[in-house]
Amino acid sequence: MAVSLHADVFIPGQSIIHRWAARPKLLSLLALMFAIAMVRQLILLPWVFVVVGGLYLWSQLPLSYLARRLPYPGLFIVAMVGLLPWVSGETVLWQWSFLALRLEGVQVASLIAGRFLAILTTGFILLGTTPFLTLLEVMRSLGIPPLLTDMTLLTYRYLFDIANQLATMRQAMQLRGYGQSRQTVSRQWGWLAALMGSLLLRSYEQSQRVYQAMRLRGYGQNSSAPRRMTSRSGNQRFALPTSLTLLAAASVVIGEILLPPL
Amino acid sequence: MTQSLNSFSSSTPPAMSIPTAKEGRLRSVAIALQDLSFSYPDSPHILQDISVSIREGERVGLIGHNGCGKTTLFMLLCGLLTPQTGTVHLFDRLVETHQFRPEVGFLFQDPADQLFSPSVRDDVAFGPMNLGLSEAEVTKRVEAALELTGLQALASRPPHHLSGGEKQMVAIAGLMAMCPRVLLYDEPTASLDLRTRRRLIRFLQRSDETLLLASHDLEFLLEVCDRVLLIDEGRIIADGDPFEVMGDQALMEQHGLEKPHSLMPHVAMHHARRENCP
Amino acid sequence: MHIPDGILPAPVCVAGYAIAGGVTWVALKQIHKTSDPQAELPKAALLAAAFFVGSSLSVPIPPVSVHLVLNGVLGAVLGWYAWPAILIGLLLQAILLGHGGLTTLGVDAVMMGLPALLAGQFFRQRHRFAKALAPKPLLGIFSFLAGAIGVGLSALIFFTLIVFTIPSTLNQGAEQSFLTALMIAHVPLILLEGVFTVLLCFFLMRVKPELLEQ
Repeated sequence: MAVSLHADVFIPGQSIIHRWAARPKLLSLLALMFAIAMVRQLILLPWVFVVVGGLYLWSQLPLSYLARRLPYPGLFIVAMVGLLPWVSGETVLWQWSFLALRLEGVQVASLIAGRFLAILTTGFILLGTTPFLTLLEVMRSLGIPPLLTDMTLLTYRYLFDIANQLATMRQAMQLRGYGQSRQTVSRQWGWLAALMGSLLLRSYEQSQRVYQAMRLRGYGQNSSAPRRMTSRSGNQRFALPTSLTLLAAASVVIGEILLPPL
Repeated sequence: MTQSLNSFSSSTPPAMSIPTAKEGRLRSVAIALQDLSFSYPDSPHILQDISVSIREGERVGLIGHNGCGKTTLFMLLCGLLTPQTGTVHLFDRLVETHQFRPEVGFLFQDPADQLFSPSVRDDVAFGPMNLGLSEAEVTKRVEAALELTGLQALASRPPHHLSGGEKQMVAIAGLMAMCPRVLLYDEPTASLDLRTRRRLIRFLQRSDETLLLASHDLEFLLEVCDRVLLIDEGRIIADGDPFEVMGDQALMEQHGLEKPHSLMPHVAMHHARRENCP
Repeated sequence: MHIPDGILPAPVCVAGYAIAGGVTWVALKQIHKTSDPQAELPKAALLAAAFFVGSSLSVPIPPVSVHLVLNGVLGAVLGWYAWPAILIGLLLQAILLGHGGLTTLGVDAVMMGLPALLAGQFFRQRHRFAKALAPKPLLGIFSFLAGAIGVGLSALIFFTLIVFTIPSTLNQGAEQSFLTALMIAHVPLILLEGVFTVLLCFFLMRVKPELLEQ
């Protein structure tokens, strides 16, 4: 499975975006993402790209990071909107045989693709400059229930172990010839269901050991103990990225409201 | 799958079991590694210029500290990894990455990684089915493997319900049902109790296949193997008789290991009493 | 079956988050009422991880292979914990794989999680029919339906969203035919999801029946 290690998602650095306090960063960038989601005027997209591009440069994240992370989700958006230029709209820009490229379809596909690219890049700026554990702490501080954040932490912790387990089990199957000879679909489905079931079973049994280990270290003894926040609180110096980002988000929303509909 | 008894005395070293020219016949080369090197992105030079030949029927122990490359070597032998340089040949045929080679069987360190079917019988049958054998042949192989490993009584039980030692025997049965010529065992005694460990030793002593066993259990290797390879810093440091290699205390300690207890001379003060300890 | 960022209008994304927030509140309330969350949390978390990882398996449907959704069986195994499991799974998928979206997290959670909860509740009803049917056929029927309900409802929500957000410039006739064809194409997938759920539940019943008794 292509479960990338978190080391690939978070890129350590010293840019202002890296040092931007996590809570205002999360809220500001989320606000920007939603503002971009509101865009319905194609003419606003260049401004959106300037804002997002500026933030990306400010974060000093390498372009290779974007190049590495974009293709996989990009494929999905192409699959979803790739047909639109050919089937949507009346104004034909170009035609060859039965294929007709339509202006309105191109506009809609461009709008969706542009919003997608901008929102995704904003997301990468957030994830690339903020450790996952810090994000979780911020979510907890914002009132996300502890059960959710604790469960996220534990799921994340064991995700890689379980992914390795599955990879090893699949290796063992392949070493015993799985996929070498033609088998009936029902037989293959039986094997795959058994593989999935074994994975669930092993995870379940492991969770019982995990729980016992946690109990032995005091888990569940003092549920009212305040959880220590290790992320630093906001700093006056970082009012700049927060205010600039929120201003940019507001400008997108205002532009969307003020511009006449097409 | 024929068995042959190989009597073994724990107090005297075995005669060299590798046939030599003196016996008039040299067994063919089962495994040939030539200038094999491999690195992981975060662990360079896990293996460096490994060259070794292993003949059919040999039982070779691999010893070395954690991270010295024993499991990596096994994965290269099975074609799970691609060497950076060098080649691996199994019975004179090059091993290519992800190519299926049923003549080699790999017992993973955790047998649970290899067991997934709802019953022991189904799990043992998995390999022969994938070989494209007829139902009759599959059944024959499964029964033979169950008999060889003494698992007939457990045939209809889910492997998940068995003890660690039983799971390991099921995993071995699953490999044996494919009639391998080479078997790779990765830390086979790691989580076995003494009784199961003894059963495994007797089983391995009876087997005819070419065996490679990676283990920290040096006493186990002394009882099963007729040759041992000491690996450190990605290279083969020593290759020879287990008693000679493991009996060299300086060599063992230099490479992060210890001389097996049974090879230490037992004199009166060998075992210190607690009150004598500082 | 995730909706990526950029496709849905902002109001729909916000509504998705609002509904997801409401369902989270209900689910957590039920979790605290019906179980000991601290004891159940490691199990729910590791099983959530296993489902996340297991969803990478593809099953052959000649001539192709497909990834199954498995939200029905997730609901059957995890019960109310299926909701946080799906929420967390989607978040991690967006972060680690870039699959799905952050603005559409609420919508995706509702699309996958609500059907999982319903499938789980339905699966639990099988005990009412214990006297009418033998255990194996009973399990077979309910697991098939749970699997089918899970992915069937998700598909319904997905198509409803697409219908209401499709560009107005699209030819109505073409849009309708395309969507109808797509929905019909999902019917065999729904049935196959049910079949796989049956196989998985039969395996678990044989090897670890307590996993099905949440």
